[in-house]
Amino acid sequence: MSPRTDGRLRSRALLWIPAVAVPAAIAAAVIVPMQASAAVDLPDKTVAELLEFASTSDVEAFSGTIEQTSELGIPDLAGLTGAMGGAGSGSADAGARGDDAAQPADLDDLISLATGSHTANVYVDGSLARLQVLDQLAERNVYVDGEAAEGWFVDSETKTATHVVLPEGTDPEQLGAEAEAHADVSAEEARARIEAETGAPLPTPEELLDRALASLDETTEVTVGTDARVAGREVYELVLEPRTDDTLVGSLRFAVDGENGMPLAASISARGADEPAFRVAFSEVSFEAPDTSVFEFAPSADFTVTEREIPIPTEQELAEWRAGLEAKAGGAHSGEQGVPSPIVHGDGWATVVELPLPSVDAEMLDSLTRAVDGARVLETSLLTVLITDDGRVLAGAVPVERLVEVAAAGAADTGR
Amino acid sequence: MSGRAGTVVDDAVADDAADLAIRTRGLTKRFRSQVAVDGLDLAVPRGAVYGFLGPNGSGKTTTIRMLLGLVRATAGEAEVLGSPMPRAIDAVLPRVGALVEGPAFSPYLTGAQNLRRFDAADRHSIGSTRDTRVAEALERVGLSHAAAKKAHAYSLGMKQRLGLANALLMPRDLLVLDEPTNGLDPQGTREVRALIRSFAADGTTVFVSSHLLAEVEQLCTHVGVMSAGRLVAQGTLEELRRSGGRARVRVRTPDAPAARRVLAGLGIEVESGSAASDLEVVVGTLPDDEEAPEAIVAALVAERVRVRGFAVERASLEQRFVELTGEGFDVVA
Amino acid sequence: MSSREADATTGAARDADLADAGGTTDTVRRPRAAASGTLRLLGNELATLFTRWRTWAMLGALALIPILIGIAIRIAGGSSAGRGPAFLDQITGNGLFVGIAAMTVAIPLFLPLTIGVTAGDAIAGEASHGTLRYLLIAPAGRIRLLVVKYLAAAAFCLAGTLTVVVLGTLVGWLLFPIGPVTLLSGDEIPVGEGLLRFLAVAAYVAVSLLGLSAIGLFLSTLTTVPIGAMAATSILAVVSQIVGAIPQLEALHPWLFTDRWLDFADLLRSPPVWDSFAANALLQGAYVLVFGTLAITRFVTRDVLS
Repeated sequence: MSPRTDGRLRSRALLWIPAVAVPAAIAAAVIVPMQASAAVDLPDKTVAELLEFASTSDVEAFSGTIEQTSELGIPDLAGLTGAMGGAGSGSADAGARGDDAAQPADLDDLISLATGSHTANVYVDGSLARLQVLDQLAERNVYVDGEAAEGWFVDSETKTATHVVLPEGTDPEQLGAEAEAHADVSAEEARARIEAETGAPLPTPEELLDRALASLDETTEVTVGTDARVAGREVYELVLEPRTDDTLVGSLRFAVDGENGMPLAASISARGADEPAFRVAFSEVSFEAPDTSVFEFAPSADFTVTEREIPIPTEQELAEWRAGLEAKAGGAHSGEQGVPSPIVHGDGWATVVELPLPSVDAEMLDSLTRAVDGARVLETSLLTVLITDDGRVLAGAVPVERLVEVAAAGAADTGR
Repeated sequence: MSGRAGTVVDDAVADDAADLAIRTRGLTKRFRSQVAVDGLDLAVPRGAVYGFLGPNGSGKTTTIRMLLGLVRATAGEAEVLGSPMPRAIDAVLPRVGALVEGPAFSPYLTGAQNLRRFDAADRHSIGSTRDTRVAEALERVGLSHAAAKKAHAYSLGMKQRLGLANALLMPRDLLVLDEPTNGLDPQGTREVRALIRSFAADGTTVFVSSHLLAEVEQLCTHVGVMSAGRLVAQGTLEELRRSGGRARVRVRTPDAPAARRVLAGLGIEVESGSAASDLEVVVGTLPDDEEAPEAIVAALVAERVRVRGFAVERASLEQRFVELTGEGFDVVA
Repeated sequence: MSSREADATTGAARDADLADAGGTTDTVRRPRAAASGTLRLLGNELATLFTRWRTWAMLGALALIPILIGIAIRIAGGSSAGRGPAFLDQITGNGLFVGIAAMTVAIPLFLPLTIGVTAGDAIAGEASHGTLRYLLIAPAGRIRLLVVKYLAAAAFCLAGTLTVVVLGTLVGWLLFPIGPVTLLSGDEIPVGEGLLRFLAVAAYVAVSLLGLSAIGLFLSTLTTVPIGAMAATSILAVVSQIVGAIPQLEALHPWLFTDRWLDFADLLRSPPVWDSFAANALLQGAYVLVFGTLAITRFVTRDVLS
């Protein structure tokens, strides 16, 4: 071909450049400033100062959108449980069908929580609060009115609205006062106990915080990370990293609003992972009081309304309940009504919890887990569950090897 | 074949670019490795009816598409109505009416709707006069009765005329008509040719491509001949006729030697004759600056040559085209 | 004549490529009419689109969805909560939901199919009829023609979604009792406000289809066989939805033009979540930008041989 022709071809190829360049330029124009402005530099704070700052946050009203994403590394099971539900209703007799239908749906919910991402709007104004979970073509709502001592739980998929109220005659203000008094009493108790233990006069809150941090420091490295931006707000980052290698947890991160100290994000990352396994964060937040209309709810006639009264335990009932708990903790296996109490192995990040195996659908179990020596194991990026063939369940944020080890030791104990 | 167009182009025409409705220089189109149009130098004078003649597949339609900015030239340049194409496409095309590779219409629209659509596509056409102009154009091609008929119900001849009506929606300076009589019956062909003559009579330059020699002979003042992507000849019809070799003169006379002497004196190359009878035929070839036939006869008679028969013969256009293109032409009218 | 020549020289001096250039000055033609000329071409294109039998057949097919849903539920009775497509269980209680239920049914396949036909046919259809060359030598201007074709496809998107919602609402009105509209949040709004929300849903879905229209337009510039561009466009819509349903490809999901198709329900919450309208518009805008640029680049350099 003549040079002239080559030139033509080249110029024709050049004509395609705008097709790529125009969108790229626009993308750059949008993204680059976002990243450039992402450099945040808040006044430095120590860990203690930051915790103090966060704990004294006094945000009364806000609204925003929360994004929750989970990447736990569980295989997708949505289809699986659907198929199981179908098989169940096909084979089981008609009487059992109701239960069958309900179970996979619940499991689906759980699994979707562990694998998917969710968006919810939050509105808070004093004692009024609303959580609006935005599902595709559906919605769940929780309304809480602290002053009227009532709340709603609304599910658009089942078309149900549950009205939760405190028993008649309960005065929420009195209840609040009681709780406060109770808290004061507890604080007094704690103070007395600390003074008795240390033989020293009452520490200031700062000293308390320091001490708590010191004890935390044994297992966990707590640092203030790099300042960042969450939902357009400048935030401090608090990073907790386990000191032990025996856990799957790599780090916990909290984002604290640089202006008012409200936590805006929290995430857990597995060891060695770049992306957090679980993250909850505001994608949008406003600290102005939301319009009061968002807290108003009157159920539509289409919805089935259930009234539910939540009894408030009296002082005496509370005391009994507490005593019961302590008794249970003392005599480990005195368990009533077959409620198993867990055995705890180890401490800190490498804690392993052991439970007797509840009745589980064996088929389901097989599909979820893989076999290891003498047991089956379910692994996620943060949590490992071991189900031994002798009917125990061990779980922890630890590698499989540790669970197998603990399980073997436990078996030896009972064998002895 | 020496073939390049320049050999027969009238120099006077080529030099006066301002008077050219279409001019191309080295216009070339390659489709991948195949050369469809190769180094075309067209010169179409304003006011001419230019016959763009060539067998099917010789590159006529591709050339027309380049002139109208539908196809991008691989090399070379084209000027239409004095402006470069396709750079000045917006300024040029409103002044050009065209029929390219047969008429084409949206079958689901009526004839009038189709015309209105094409008219609306020209952003400078005036909407308020659209209906009138469409009606006039339909009237001119004799389709008023079918204006409200869906285009898919049109016969081929009607479509061809509707295509011409589209070219006439606006006053045009140039009409580019690609095989306007293709597929028409003799009656339709006559009608279309009459239309083309009427456009030319209005002073519009008409560039009409055809593979029919007779059509070009009947309609055109100028002609360009395409063969295998090249323009092998171009000029007025007369120039092309003359270019087909020099005319030959035949004189039937009993005074052959005298006649030879006279003809030679006029610069005519006389062939050595044979005296087959007392009435010898003297044959000679005329020089380029040929004498008028009557002048030759006068010269013979002046020398007392008894002329019993006299003829000036030329190769037919058809022979000439066969010579140029190496192919025969349909001579069916 | 002389004024035309002067004008032609101006045209020559202009450094426009195959692309559109400004107006001409002429005694016969309108001197500066580019904008109104484009509007008139758009008007003509819309008139052409909506005089086509095919366009009405597609709108009729879309209209059939709410009609069938309405009649089926009228005859067979409603479904229980949580079964079947969303909103289906609400129809017996409130006929106004026929339109929204039909929309939920139409979004995954029927609407993309009709958009595929309209957008895929835009240029390829003209090419296959041969009318493309006559439009271009009118001269329509290649970019101008593309823009007009795209706007016509966008108008069809709106016509399609309005057909489903408006006809569905009317069918529901005729066949079922109607009343205040129950939102996903569980509370009610008056009928009037409910109807406004339904119209907003139609607008949302129409916007959702703009990206697909741009893809269809681009594919349409690649071929002279309209059925190929139509099929490719429709198939892409289905493929994108399949990819959107595969959790392993979650990283891709926010980039899919189908990602927010079903988020129209955000307009049926209390308060309505307009963020998704904006986010969807941005997503579709990005597709329009990329595929619009591709279509222009392709079409401006293309040899029109049909």
